[in-house]
Amino acid sequence: MDELTPAQTDVVAAPLEAKIFLSGPAGCGKTTVGVARMLGLLEAGVPGASLLVLTPQRTLQEPYQNALRSPEVGAGGQVTLATVGGLARRTVDLFWPLAAEAAGFANPDQPPVFLTLETAQYYMAHIVRPLLEEGYFESLTINRNRLYAQIIDNLNKAAAVGFPHTEIGARLDAAWLGDPSQRRVYADAQDCANRFRDYCLEHNLLDFSLQLEIFRDHLWPDPLVRGHLTQRYRHLIYDNLEEDIPLAHDLIADWLPDFDSALLIFDEGGGYRRFLGADPETGRRLSDLCPSRAVLAESFVVSEEVERLARSLENVIIPAASPSPLKGEGTGASVLKFSNARFYPEVLDWVTDEIAALMDGGLPASEIVVLAPYLSDALRFSLMNRLEARRIPARSHRPSRSLRDEPAAQALLTLAEIAHPDWGLRPTSFDAAYAFMLALESDLVRAQLLAEIVYRQRDLNLSSFERIKPDVQERITFVLGSRYTQLRDWLLACREREPMPLDHFLRRLFGEVLSQPGFGFHRNFDAARVAASLIESAQKFRRVMEPANFASQEGEPLASLGREYIAMLQEGVIAAQYLESWRDQPEEAVLIAPAYTFLMQNRPVTAQFWLNPGSEGWTERLFQPLTQPYVLSRHWPKDGLWTDADEVAAARGTLARLLTGLLRRCRERLYLGISDLGESGFEQRGVLLKAFQRVLQEANRQG
Amino acid sequence: MTNITFRPSQTEILAYTGGTLGISAVPGAGKTFTLSALAAEIISRGDLDPEQEVLVVTLVNSAVDNFSARIGEFIAERGLLPRVGYRVRTLHGLAHDIVREKPGMVGLEDRFQIIDEREAGFIRREAVSAWLAAHPHDLDDFLDPSLDDSKRDWVRRQQLPKLLEGLALAFVRSSKDRRLTPDALRAHLDRQPAPLPLAEMGWQIYADYQRALAYRGAVDFDDLIRLALDLLERDQEFLERLRYRWPYVLEDEAQDSSKLQEDILRLLAGEKGNWVRVGDPNQAIFETFTTADPRYLRDFIAREADFPRELPESGRSQPGIIALANRLIDWVMEEHPDAEARGALAPPHIRPAPEGDPQPNPPDDPAGIRLIGSKFSPEAELQAVADSLSRWLPDHPDQTVAVLVPRNTRGMEIIEALKERGLDYVEFLSSTTSTRAAAGALGNLVNYLADPQSPTKLATAYKVWRRDWREGEDEQKSRYGRVSKLLRKCRRVEDFVSPQDPARDWLSGLRESESEQILLELESFREVVKRWQGTTLLPIDQMVLTLAQDLFTDAADLALAHKLALLLRQVSEAHRDWRLPDLTGELAVIARNERRFIGFSSDDAGFKPENYRGKVVVTTMHKAKGLEWDRVYLMSVNNYSFPSGQPNDSYISEKWFVRDGLNLEAEALAQLEAATQRGEYEWYAEGQATLAARLDYVKERLRLFYVGLTRARREIVVTWNTGRRGDATQALPFAALQGWWDGRE
Repeated sequence: MDELTPAQTDVVAAPLEAKIFLSGPAGCGKTTVGVARMLGLLEAGVPGASLLVLTPQRTLQEPYQNALRSPEVGAGGQVTLATVGGLARRTVDLFWPLAAEAAGFANPDQPPVFLTLETAQYYMAHIVRPLLEEGYFESLTINRNRLYAQIIDNLNKAAAVGFPHTEIGARLDAAWLGDPSQRRVYADAQDCANRFRDYCLEHNLLDFSLQLEIFRDHLWPDPLVRGHLTQRYRHLIYDNLEEDIPLAHDLIADWLPDFDSALLIFDEGGGYRRFLGADPETGRRLSDLCPSRAVLAESFVVSEEVERLARSLENVIIPAASPSPLKGEGTGASVLKFSNARFYPEVLDWVTDEIAALMDGGLPASEIVVLAPYLSDALRFSLMNRLEARRIPARSHRPSRSLRDEPAAQALLTLAEIAHPDWGLRPTSFDAAYAFMLALESDLVRAQLLAEIVYRQRDLNLSSFERIKPDVQERITFVLGSRYTQLRDWLLACREREPMPLDHFLRRLFGEVLSQPGFGFHRNFDAARVAASLIESAQKFRRVMEPANFASQEGEPLASLGREYIAMLQEGVIAAQYLESWRDQPEEAVLIAPAYTFLMQNRPVTAQFWLNPGSEGWTERLFQPLTQPYVLSRHWPKDGLWTDADEVAAARGTLARLLTGLLRRCRERLYLGISDLGESGFEQRGVLLKAFQRVLQEANRQG
Repeated sequence: MTNITFRPSQTEILAYTGGTLGISAVPGAGKTFTLSALAAEIISRGDLDPEQEVLVVTLVNSAVDNFSARIGEFIAERGLLPRVGYRVRTLHGLAHDIVREKPGMVGLEDRFQIIDEREAGFIRREAVSAWLAAHPHDLDDFLDPSLDDSKRDWVRRQQLPKLLEGLALAFVRSSKDRRLTPDALRAHLDRQPAPLPLAEMGWQIYADYQRALAYRGAVDFDDLIRLALDLLERDQEFLERLRYRWPYVLEDEAQDSSKLQEDILRLLAGEKGNWVRVGDPNQAIFETFTTADPRYLRDFIAREADFPRELPESGRSQPGIIALANRLIDWVMEEHPDAEARGALAPPHIRPAPEGDPQPNPPDDPAGIRLIGSKFSPEAELQAVADSLSRWLPDHPDQTVAVLVPRNTRGMEIIEALKERGLDYVEFLSSTTSTRAAAGALGNLVNYLADPQSPTKLATAYKVWRRDWREGEDEQKSRYGRVSKLLRKCRRVEDFVSPQDPARDWLSGLRESESEQILLELESFREVVKRWQGTTLLPIDQMVLTLAQDLFTDAADLALAHKLALLLRQVSEAHRDWRLPDLTGELAVIARNERRFIGFSSDDAGFKPENYRGKVVVTTMHKAKGLEWDRVYLMSVNNYSFPSGQPNDSYISEKWFVRDGLNLEAEALAQLEAATQRGEYEWYAEGQATLAARLDYVKERLRLFYVGLTRARREIVVTWNTGRRGDATQALPFAALQGWWDGRE
C-alpha cells in the first residue's frame, strides 16, 4: 500500500470504537482510507465475519475485494461486501416465512422467486402488453422495452425514496406542466405499477422494489431480524454513500448506534446515480450522527492544470458555482487536445493515433479511457477494430455484441427452432445456412448450397444428404455431408423425444454433437463460451418462470418457455448483457465506456478521450416520459411544478457534476474528439461543446 | 467586408439592425449571398453574447451547408472563429433541435428515433393495405360506374392501393399540419351530422400509421414540427430561453413556409422580434396540399414588416431572357384566361444588374431564345432535343447546359435518347452521386454475400473492390478486365474461395494459361472474399463497417458507411425477419436515393452545374431551383404538364377510374377541412375541392414555368409535345410568350 498522509493515517488509526464521517472530493484518497481501515481492523483482530462493507453498487467494491484477496489478509471469516439491496435480498430469503405473510403474499408457504431486472421486465411486458392494445400510453412515443423499464424504475424509486408505490402517478402528475392530454399516461403508469405489484404478490415474485420494501417495513423492524443483523455485524465501512438511495441512508441512520465502529465515506462532488434514485442530501445527514468527522481535501490524482480546467468548465456551465474565481490563474486549456475533423470516422482515426502515440510514450493502456455519453454498437465495434489493428488491447463495458447478436447463439437457437416445429418459428434458409456454417464448420458457399437443398422453411423439413444428386454431393463434400447427417439424425430424434427445457436441449446439442471433433464448436472456444452463456441465460429464465407457473396459466405446457425465451431475446427484453464476460477481459487495456459507467468504476486514469462532445447526450438524462428522478425524490415539494428553469438548473448541475467527476479522475490530459458532423451526419452543438469553446476563447484572451 | 462589392439594394439590407424585415427577391438576385452577409454582419458587430446565435432557417438540406460555408467565409474574413455564433437549419433540423432539448415534455423518450420518408412510406403502405383488406368495397361508390366488373376488380387491385398511398400521405401530412392527432380528429368526426367517408378512411389509416410509429418509438418529420410548436406554446420559460439564444431569425425561401413554420418562427422571434424573411413568391413551387401559400409572404412584406425591401436586380440572365420572364409575369397578371389564376405571379419584375456590377448580365442575344411552337409527338420531341444537343455540345465544351423536364420519367426518356447518341450526360433526377456510389458499392458486396454461389455477383464484387483500376493505368485496367472475366466463368465458387484440397483449387487449373500477376491478384482477392464471407454472421451494422474498411479510404465515404451501418441496424431492428436480400434491397434504395438520406448535408450540396461543363445535365424543373446553366432546354411544356384551367385541359390528379373526374386526394382533404369547421356554411360539397385543386395546380405550374425560364443564362429552348394520347396542346402561357416574342421581332 502506498504511504498515507497524516490526515489519512488519523482516520485509519482511529480507535477501534470510532464512528467517523469522512468526506472530501473525488481523488483525495478516501477509498484508500476505507480499504486501509478495513485491513487495520482485521489486523487488530476484528473477525472478518463481523465486518460489513457497504457500497451502493457492486463495481465500487472492487478495491475492497482486491485488498481482501491479498495473501497477507489473515483468517477470521469472510468480510461481507454488499449493497443494501443485496443485504435486503439475502435477509428476505433467510426470513421468508416471516416476511411472506406480513407482506401479503398469496402463497407464503411457497418459496420466493427473486426477479432480476430482465425477468421483472418480462413479467411487466406480460402485464402491460394487453393494456397497450386497449390504448394505454397511446400518446407516448416510446420503445416498449423502455416503457416497461420506466414503470419498474418508478416502483424502485418509490421504494428507495420511501413513498407508497400508489402515489407515483399523482406525484408525476402534480409536477406536469406540458400538454394536459399527456396526463393520462401517468394514470396508466400507475395502473400498470399496481397491477404488477398485485401480480407479484399473487405469484411470490419479488422484484427489487418489493425486496426493499419488505426488508424495510417487515423485517428490519422485527426484533428477531434486527437482532440477527446487529449481532452479526459489529463494524461498518460504507463507501460512496452519496450514490446510495434514501432508504439505505435511513437504514444506516437507524442501525448506526448498534455498531461498534463505523466509517462513512462521502464524496463531495458525487451524486451521479441521481437518475437511479441516489440522494447525496439524505446521505450527508448521516454526518450528524457520527461523533467525529474528517475531511480530506488534497487531490492525489489531478494535476493543477486539470483542476483549473474543471473549474473553468464549471464556471461556464454554472456561472459563479466554483468557489475561487478564474482570473489570473489560467483556464487549464493547456491539458486539452482536440481533433478538428469533418466526419466522424476521422475522429476515430485520430483517437487511435493519439492512443498509439501515448502508448509509444510509455503510458500503459489501462491509464487511458475513451468515453462517450452513449456508445452505439457501431461506434464500439469501429473503435475496437481500429485499436485491435494496432495491437492495442481494449475492453468495453460490455461485449461488443449482445447475446442475441452472437453468431454462435443464433446458430444454436436456429437449430433449436428447427428441432421444435410445434413452436411455430420458421427460420429462413439464410438462418439455416449460417447455423450450418457454424455448427458444421463449413464455408459460406457450401453451407448455403446445403441449406438451399435440404432445408424447407415452410414445414422445417430436413431432407437427407443421400437424396442429393451425386455431383452436388461432391460439391458440398462428403465430409460435410456426414457431419450434416449426424446433426440431422440428432435433431430428428429430438423431435420424437419428450419435450425438454431449452437449456437442457442446448446443453445436449452442444455436448452430444456440436462440441465433438469436426463440428464447429469443437475448436472454437469463443463459440463454446457463448454457448455456455446462452445455456445459463436460458436456465435462469426457466428457473424464474417455472415456479410462477406463468406459462401454464395460459394453458400452455412449460416446454414452450423455450419459445418465450427466444421471443424475449429477439425483442430485446432480455438484454443479455452478461456481466461475466467483461470481467474476463484484460485489465491492462484501454477502456471504452459510457461516461457514467467509467465514473462508477471510481478509478483515476492519466488520459481521457471524450467522444461526441457536441452531443446533447451529455445533458439529456433527466426527462423521461414516465419517470422523473427529481420529482420522485424526497426533496421535491408536493405540489411543485417542474418548470423549464428547474430543468435547466438540473441539467446544468448534472453536467457540471459529471464533468468534475470525470476530470477528478483524470491525471493529466483530456482529448476531445470533435467532428463537424456526428455519427449520424448531424451537426452537433451541445452545451458541453459550447462550454469548451468558451474556455478556449477565454484562454485565447489570456494569451 | 473588404473584397466584396454589394449592390445598393443589398447594402440597404446589410444596414438592418433589428425589427421585422421582409424581402422580395427575384431569381438570381443573390439571396443566399445577401442573407449570409447579413448573418456575418450581425455576428461581427459583437452584440451577441457567447450563448447567442443567429438562427438561419432554410428550405432544403442542400442549402444548409451552402449557407454555413458562406457565413463561415464572411466571418473568417473578419478574423473571427468560424462556426461560432450562428446555426443554419432546415425547419426539420430546427424542430429536431427544439424537441431534442425536452423530448419528455411531448411524450417522447430521450433517444427517440426519426423515421425517414422511406420507412414512413413503408408503414403507410401497410396501413393502406390493412384498410383495403378490411374495407374492400367502401370505395366502390367513388369508382366510375361505367367500369365493368373485371375492370373494377383490376382497378381495386392495381390502381387503388397506389392512389390511396398518395392520398394517405397527403391526409396524414395535412392532419399534422393542422395539428390534429388521431384522437382529436376522431372527436371532430364524431360530431359530424353526416358521414364523411373519405375523412373516415383517412382517419383510420392515420391512426394506424401513428400507432405503428409509437410502437417503434419513432416520429416522422411532420411530427417533429408539430411537437416543436407544441413545446414552444406550452413552455413559456423554454421559449424565453430559446428567444434569448436566437436573438435574430433569418428565414430563407420564405415563400414556401408552411403555416406551422411561420408559427414556429413567429414564436421564436417574439413580438417586435428580429425576424428577416427573404423569398420569391413567384418561385413558390412546393405548395400543393400543404398549408404553404406565397400569399403569406406577400402579406408579410406588404403589411407586417417594419422594413419592406426588394432585391430586384439579377446578373444571371441575358436581357432577352429577363424580358421573357417579366412578360410572363405581366401576361399572367393581365391576360390569363382564368381570372382567379392571375395572382400566381406578381412583381417585382427582374431588373438587370446595374452598371459596373461584379456579376454583370450576359450580353443581349435574341438568337439565344428559341421558343419552338412545332407540334412534336413525345418521341419526336426527345429526338429533336437530343439532335439539337448533339449539334450544340461539340462547339461549347466550356459551357453548362441542362434539360429540364416536368417529371422524372420524362428525364429517364431523354437520357435514353442521349445515350443513343453517345452524348455525355449527368443525371440529377433525385440523387447525389457520392451517396449512391458508396451505397451502391456496399450494396454490390452485400448482394454477393446474399448469394455467395453466384460467379456473376462474385465478379461484380471484385469490380467494386478494384473500382479505382477501371480508370487506372493500362496495365491495371487489363488485369482488372481479365480477372473479372475469369471470375464470371468460375462455375463452382467454392473451389475458388475455399477449395477442399489443392487438387480441386480452381486457381491451379489456371496456372497453365494465366500470368503470375493474374494469379496473384486472384489470390489476394480470395483472401478478401474469405474475410467478407465471415462477416455474414455478424449483425448488419458490424458487417457494413467491416466491409467498408476494405472498400473505402475516403473520409466522406467512411462516414457514410458508418451512417449506413446505423441505419441498416435500425431497419433490421424494425424488421427482424429481414435477411441479407432485403437489406441489400435497402442499400439499393439508398443508392437510387429513393430514401432521403438525412444528415451529411454537404453531400446534397454537391451539385454544382459548373462542375459539369460540356455535359448535359438532366433534371426536373423542381430540382433545378437555385441552379443556373448557360443553356437550358424546357421540355414537355404542354397543357397536361402546364394546364390553364381550360375545358380541354386534363389533370394528373384526376384519375380515369374515379367517377365524375373527382380528385380523390383533394376531396379527402376537403372532408378533413370540413370535419374541423363548425360553421354551417362550410359544409363539404363534393366536387368543389377538385375544382379548387385545379386552380392551385394551374397557379403552381405557372410559377414552375417561371422557375424553368429563369434558370437560363444565355440561351433557352422551349418545346412541347402532344402527350401520350396525342391530344395535348401547347401550354397557354408558352403560346402567349411565343406570340409576344415573335411579334416583338
